[in-house]
Amino acid sequence: MRLAPFYGCMIPIKYPQMEAAFRRTMPNLGVELVDLDGFTCCPDPIFFKTKGVLDWVTVAARNLCVAEENGIDLVTLCSGCTATLKEARFLLAEDESLKDRVNERLRKIGKEYKGTVKVEHAVVVIRDELGVEKLKESIVRPLTDLKVAIHYGCHLLKPSQIMHVDDADYPSILENLIRAIGATPVGHDRTLLCCGKGCMDDDMPTEMVFDIFTSIRDSGADVMGLICPTCFSSFDLGQIMVGRKKDTEFGIPVIYYFQLLGLAQGLAPEDIGLNLHKVKADKVLARLGAGTEAPPPAA
Amino acid sequence: MPEDKSQRVTINFEFRRQLDGIVGGDHHNYCYQCGACVAQCPAAQYNDSFNPRAILLDTLLGREDVLLTKDSPIWLCTNCYSCYERCPQDVRPIEIIVALKNLAVAKGVAPEAVATMTENITRAGVAGLITPAVQRIRERLGLEPLGEYPVEEMLKLLED
Repeated sequence: MRLAPFYGCMIPIKYPQMEAAFRRTMPNLGVELVDLDGFTCCPDPIFFKTKGVLDWVTVAARNLCVAEENGIDLVTLCSGCTATLKEARFLLAEDESLKDRVNERLRKIGKEYKGTVKVEHAVVVIRDELGVEKLKESIVRPLTDLKVAIHYGCHLLKPSQIMHVDDADYPSILENLIRAIGATPVGHDRTLLCCGKGCMDDDMPTEMVFDIFTSIRDSGADVMGLICPTCFSSFDLGQIMVGRKKDTEFGIPVIYYFQLLGLAQGLAPEDIGLNLHKVKADKVLARLGAGTEAPPPAA
Repeated sequence: MPEDKSQRVTINFEFRRQLDGIVGGDHHNYCYQCGACVAQCPAAQYNDSFNPRAILLDTLLGREDVLLTKDSPIWLCTNCYSCYERCPQDVRPIEIIVALKNLAVAKGVAPEAVATMTENITRAGVAGLITPAVQRIRERLGLEPLGEYPVEEMLKLLED
């Protein structure tokens, strides 16, 4: 299956380890990744949309046009990009007059939005297009006994009217993908709480991150697993900042799903950039037999 | 019985018409104040001054003076979409809040972060700075260096 990845901004610039993990794991599931030229920021669904919804839809439509011109569906790696591109697609399908206004602008650069390509987050592609069996077949080092506290984040699921991914209150997609790589999903009280990053206030996100990590600590999970770079920024560096304010240290490594998949597919931690995370996963990696130290010499 | 003038309510329809002009702002008319949007709202749980139902009520009354200010509750929204998920009337409260933010930006009362972040995107085509350090980390991960983004083309779209 051929798909065009939409990497967005945060992943290639701020967290390229997520891009590396994705590029190294998806081909093992039988996906050919076709890199397209000409994308811009999705654009971001918080600040850019706050400035002007029409501008936001228009720039998103231009990105969708790039995929349309190449006749290939998009796979997204970031929940923000997923939210923007899927909502833009939804609004343009729902409102013909909006589509006309957007196309009037797109004409200035010789483009026209038609609505012919699909957009899905990579985890949805795995579940719906590739299948969990295919995922299991790619595993050479199951993450046995690794307890993963899942953080869904908001924009993969909500609004379900647009996202069509899962039940927004009782989702199971990530639990199933975690089980398929041999790890154990661990439920906790704040699995579905927002990371708070979209809030233009400092105090509220601090309290949210504190509550999420207290809840994960109580659950006995080894790591947090997630699929969104914005949530990651709230949680990797974020848990350290919040820990300082609250005089505690959580020390819970935060790992992007495709990095977990990479470990299960036998990739080395450096290949998926786990060494770049602020909260190190060394203890967990050593237990899995995937430590960053050189392997022992053959007997 | 004499009329109790303190019970009079004035609705600023002009403000509501302005909101109708923003993509997604027109659904505010559907709100019947049930409060379903409040129950699962994380911002409401964490800060008493945030309440999406109250924001919708102020919107229905057209209270621009309360809604479009630097310390308006609209800036506390976490953009989580729980209210959109819950609303039985398809008001899409988050989209109303975003439309209100659009009007606040036009009025010049938005937090500075809005201008800073959007200027980053209109300058480079992407959010975030592509520094030599970024390129080095990418190289170490075996990734191609990041090139230019089609900023000019994007900017043409933003000219109205």
